[in-house]
Amino acid sequence: MSLFHRCLLQPPRNPQPLPSGASSRPRFVAFTQYSPWSREFPFSWRTRALLQSAVYAIGIVLATNYVDSAWFPKGSGYGSSRDVKIAIEKLKLTFPDTEDGEERVSTHPDVLHEHGSSENSYHPASAHSVVVRAQSTEDVVTIVKIASECKIPVVVYSGATSLEGHFSGASPGSICIDMSEMDKILEIHEADSDLICQAGARWEDINDTLEEKGIPLFFPLDPGPGATIGGMIGTGCSGTNAVRYGTAKAEWFLNLTVVLPNGEVIKTRRRARKSSAGFDTTKLFIGAEGTLGIVTEATLRLAPVLPTRIAMAQFKNVEQAVNAVQDVLNSPYGGNIQCVELLDDDMIHAINVAGFTLKPLPVHDTLFFKIQGDQAAIKLAAKTIAKIVKAHGSTGKFEFSETEEEAKNLWSNRKYALTSTMGAHPGTRCWTTDVCVPVSKLPELVYGTKTDLAEAGLRSTIVGHVGDGNFHALILFSPDDPEEFEKVKEAVHRLVHRALSLDGTCTGEHGIGVGKKEYLAEELGEGTVELMRSIKKAVDPMGLMNPGKLYPDPPTK
Amino acid sequence: MQKRNPLFRAQSITGNWRFPKAQRRFTSTSSTHASPSISRTILLLTGASIASGFAGFAWATRQKAIVSLAKPEYGSPQDFQKAIVELKNSFPDKDTVSTDPEDVYAHGFSVNDYHPGFAHSVVVYPSSTEDVVKIVKIANKYHMPIVAYSGATSLEGQFRGHSAGGICVDMALMSEILAINEADSDMARIDLDHSMKYFVMFQTLKASLCFSPQIDPAPTATLGGMISNGCSGTNAVRYGTSKGEWFLNVTVVLPSGEVIKTRRRSRKSSAGFDTTKLFIGAEGTLGIITEVTIRLAPVLPTTVAVVHFPDVRKACEAVKDVMNKGVGIQCVEILDDLFMQAIKNFRPTGRDYPQKDTLFFKLQGYSEASLEESAKVVQEVAEKHGGFGFQLAKDDKDAEEIWDDRKSAHYAGLALIPGCRSLATDVCVPVSRLPDLIYETQQDLKQSGLVAPMVGHVGDGNFHAQLLVTNDADLEIAKQVSARLVHRAIAMDGTCTGEHGVGLGKKKYLVEELGEGTVELMKLVKRTLDPLGLFNPGKLYPDENDSK
Ligand SMILES: Cc1cc2nc3c(=O)[nH]c(=O)nc-3n(C[C@H](O)[C@H](O)[C@H](O)COP(=O)(O)OP(=O)(O)OC[C@H]3O[C@@H](n4cnc5c(N)ncnc54)[C@H](O)[C@@H]3O)c2cc1C
Ligand SMILES: Cc1cc2nc3c(=O)[nH]c(=O)nc-3n(C[C@H](O)[C@H](O)[C@H](O)COP(=O)(O)OP(=O)(O)OC[C@H]3O[C@@H](n4cnc5c(N)ncnc54)[C@H](O)[C@@H]3O)c2cc1C
Repeated sequence: MSLFHRCLLQPPRNPQPLPSGASSRPRFVAFTQYSPWSREFPFSWRTRALLQSAVYAIGIVLATNYVDSAWFPKGSGYGSSRDVKIAIEKLKLTFPDTEDGEERVSTHPDVLHEHGSSENSYHPASAHSVVVRAQSTEDVVTIVKIASECKIPVVVYSGATSLEGHFSGASPGSICIDMSEMDKILEIHEADSDLICQAGARWEDINDTLEEKGIPLFFPLDPGPGATIGGMIGTGCSGTNAVRYGTAKAEWFLNLTVVLPNGEVIKTRRRARKSSAGFDTTKLFIGAEGTLGIVTEATLRLAPVLPTRIAMAQFKNVEQAVNAVQDVLNSPYGGNIQCVELLDDDMIHAINVAGFTLKPLPVHDTLFFKIQGDQAAIKLAAKTIAKIVKAHGSTGKFEFSETEEEAKNLWSNRKYALTSTMGAHPGTRCWTTDVCVPVSKLPELVYGTKTDLAEAGLRSTIVGHVGDGNFHALILFSPDDPEEFEKVKEAVHRLVHRALSLDGTCTGEHGIGVGKKEYLAEELGEGTVELMRSIKKAVDPMGLMNPGKLYPDPPTK
Repeated sequence: MQKRNPLFRAQSITGNWRFPKAQRRFTSTSSTHASPSISRTILLLTGASIASGFAGFAWATRQKAIVSLAKPEYGSPQDFQKAIVELKNSFPDKDTVSTDPEDVYAHGFSVNDYHPGFAHSVVVYPSSTEDVVKIVKIANKYHMPIVAYSGATSLEGQFRGHSAGGICVDMALMSEILAINEADSDMARIDLDHSMKYFVMFQTLKASLCFSPQIDPAPTATLGGMISNGCSGTNAVRYGTSKGEWFLNVTVVLPSGEVIKTRRRSRKSSAGFDTTKLFIGAEGTLGIITEVTIRLAPVLPTTVAVVHFPDVRKACEAVKDVMNKGVGIQCVEILDDLFMQAIKNFRPTGRDYPQKDTLFFKLQGYSEASLEESAKVVQEVAEKHGGFGFQLAKDDKDAEEIWDDRKSAHYAGLALIPGCRSLATDVCVPVSRLPDLIYETQQDLKQSGLVAPMVGHVGDGNFHAQLLVTNDADLEIAKQVSARLVHRAIAMDGTCTGEHGVGLGKKKYLVEELGEGTVELMKLVKRTLDPLGLFNPGKLYPDENDSK
């Protein structure tokens, strides 16, 4: 405005000679005659009126803006604490306690805290204002409508196994929707190899149910134990099976029923296995971390269950191990490999110490292969793997489990990796990292990371879905050593940058949450991030859905 | 009303001031008239500020109104002429910008379908991402529609010109493979300018023993068109479609002219929702794709088998059973008796198949032995379901010949009636509903009197009836049959298009299939990315009156 002001008051190019009386005054006083309020204003009254009104107009605009921002503080746009109270009352009225006296709407401090923070992440977290247990899509619609009336953020809490502070509360107060009661399997279509379930259903329960019913199908996405379909969609998860079956971003979710931020319910697609009917809006919600809408139902595609066996090979260093993986996947048996997991020597050591498994293993960097197919195929594949790992300098015996029992025991090493890490280091806590690079770059990344962690003097174990170029370093620290914690944080930061410099991603499967926001623009470019933001703004103009997650704050210009 | 309008009041005040006497008084600098002039000044200034306040408000709201306009406004023909001149100036090479009537006409029409079309105003052949940006900027400046054009094999009028005219961006020059990273484990990836022709690619990649599995729509389809139509093909049974994870990232010129790369090269990433997926199936309405990184799969030994069935239902049951056995099946295709007859006519020197509903299997395995093993399983299952005449290819050459029989189906069908054209249909339903769908469609076709051989990617529940027409009356009937077929498929929880896309032909079914809300979400995304509505207008999104 000051510029504008100055321009208006600028004297004309060839100022008329000043009246002789004025010339004796100091210069700045002489200048005041150009003020439209000055009696000596040299131009016509029209100019004077115009200039004056312009100044007043600007003044009015500024004043309104000021009042506006003072009364309705910017950046929040959310309801006040009074609105939060109103929302809670409304929720309590709408969702009375169940007959057996159980609360459906809770404001108990413990509940609020527990639903807003996670044992698994160390990002700043805040409690919710209220937790509501939804039982149906209609419930979710009602909650979303109340939230948007009172302008209170909504955060979904499902399996609560996510690792980057995904479901932490929002600072102006938030309504947390607990999906644990929406865990029903609604329809199973064996003939079509698909299944419809509610978003709170756990993937393990789904697979157990299928097995119990004797249906030879399963859902191949396998993230953390206890994870649910809604959360798996939210984080765009994957797991050990991704080598063979791909991730949540592939075609395992045929359609989703979603409650949009405006309370509208949509079903993204129908049940056909493929469709070219425009871009697939299902994919918008996969990896959106609950920021674009709330998934209430999903149709999952299932895969046939095949017999599997496990093989294990050990190496002198991680590079040899990772190099062998590529050759195995390139062999004609590549299609028979369901999982390839790397456990480094520290991890094997931890497993031995923790003792959850039957027998201790030699402490080396180790690969576990899950091989699928008929008996003949599995045997041939195992033979080929044995040959390849030998060529890459494997040490010790190549283990192959002939029977299902043996396979289970061998695989339990992989299964208990995380628990063993904690068990072997009682009293410590562990930061789970998650980066992914093009597979050919993985040896470099793993090697670089191991050296870096050793140099920083940090304790860690490594487990990786190496078939995809994804690996996790579990970095340990003691909870009462803030210095060590700082060191961990810095190491994680370096790890992410190392991965990005190798054309990789800051998160292979755990998602962004609050923890990885700062890397997103570096990874994807400001343009792509802006595209994501503009979609978020269009779908959720009030910013009510899980605010503060996923989208980095726009760069300050 | 007028009295309350502050704008009006403000005017009347200034009106007063225009009074000669007042004017003189106000301009006078003498202090004697100060006090009345002050009060008047205050009045004037308040009035003026209120007026400017309202003017500002009106201006601000007017800005908003433009953005939310539902109907896009295009430039005038004069604007378009200016745009063409500017294009020619930006691309001095005279072959790059073409207004040759034949060229602009050919780029706006297709013999593959029957949708109404218009010629484009101009065709431009960019050779780099920067060129595309330039074109997009000019289109923006003159509000000119912009339509990408690649292999031109789409079947639903996807690259038709717009009635207002527009720029057609022919991607033919952007067909270079930029990098093949074979070392990247089993599945090498290649970054390539999107417009790589399928056969070129196939040759190049065969050399390095890799191929991109889902790449098998029409033989001259390009990556840009395949992404944009969300294509798939026979290999989808084993590898899924373009909506899976075959496209690791795309470089896109957005409608604003900004260039983004959607992701990096790692095989998986959970970094938020994947914007790559926005452009898959968007039919060029959200941006122009200039580079792609695709994931490749290792080439495995394959062989081909054929088996015949008394009817479609039995064949479908057999497929369902085989699929759940987990044997290595790369493709499974059904051809009905009419197609088998057509093939026999078309390739008289070929094999002598019985004129029965037939399944073609492409089996995949790690060795000859495993292929034989799979073939045995397939044969057993097929025969259990009434299959007969099972034949397994003796060697690679034999396999290729049999598969060529399948591949020639389209042209064999056309040869059934000399001089005919075909109207392709393309619906997809949950696999268990496919026999019903085919059966009911066969009944419908019988009544309509059309000749229409059928072929289906049964493993996915996708099938095409090739409706053969020779005259306008037939065409009318065919259109009705096709519409009924779509409604039938949607009623079975299926889709109006399994792989060909929406274009002009299917947009009227989108609301019925996806629901108002989902379509509105798609339109919202479209408006957000392309507020001026310049990118391939008229395609994909249903018109307002299509809903309901
Ligand atoms: C021991 C352990 C091992 C793990 N291993 C893996 C692994 O191998 N691979 C992997 O990918 N991950 C792994 N994880 C991480 C975690 O299991 C996954 O991120 C999982 O997808 C989270 O699911 P959840 O149900 O726990 O979701 P939550 O943690 O409840 O929520 C995750 C996010 O999704 C949102 N959300 C939840 N439900 C919905 C809904 N219905 N609609 C919209 N948004 C919703 C939430 O708001 C939140 O932002 C592991 C975690 C642990 C603790
Ligand atoms: C005989 C025959 C058989 C077929 N079989 C199959 C089949 O089995 N499976 C199948 O899926 N399809 C099939 N098709 C349909 C067709 O081959 C596919 O839809 C294919 O994907 C179209 O690719 P194209 O390169 O020809 O694209 P085009 O026809 O050139 O364009 C398709 C659309 O994409 C847009 N577009 C093109 N390039 C770009 C770009 N760079 N950026 C943004 N938008 C772009 C265009 O504007 C247009 O809307 C068949 C067609 C024929 C004629």
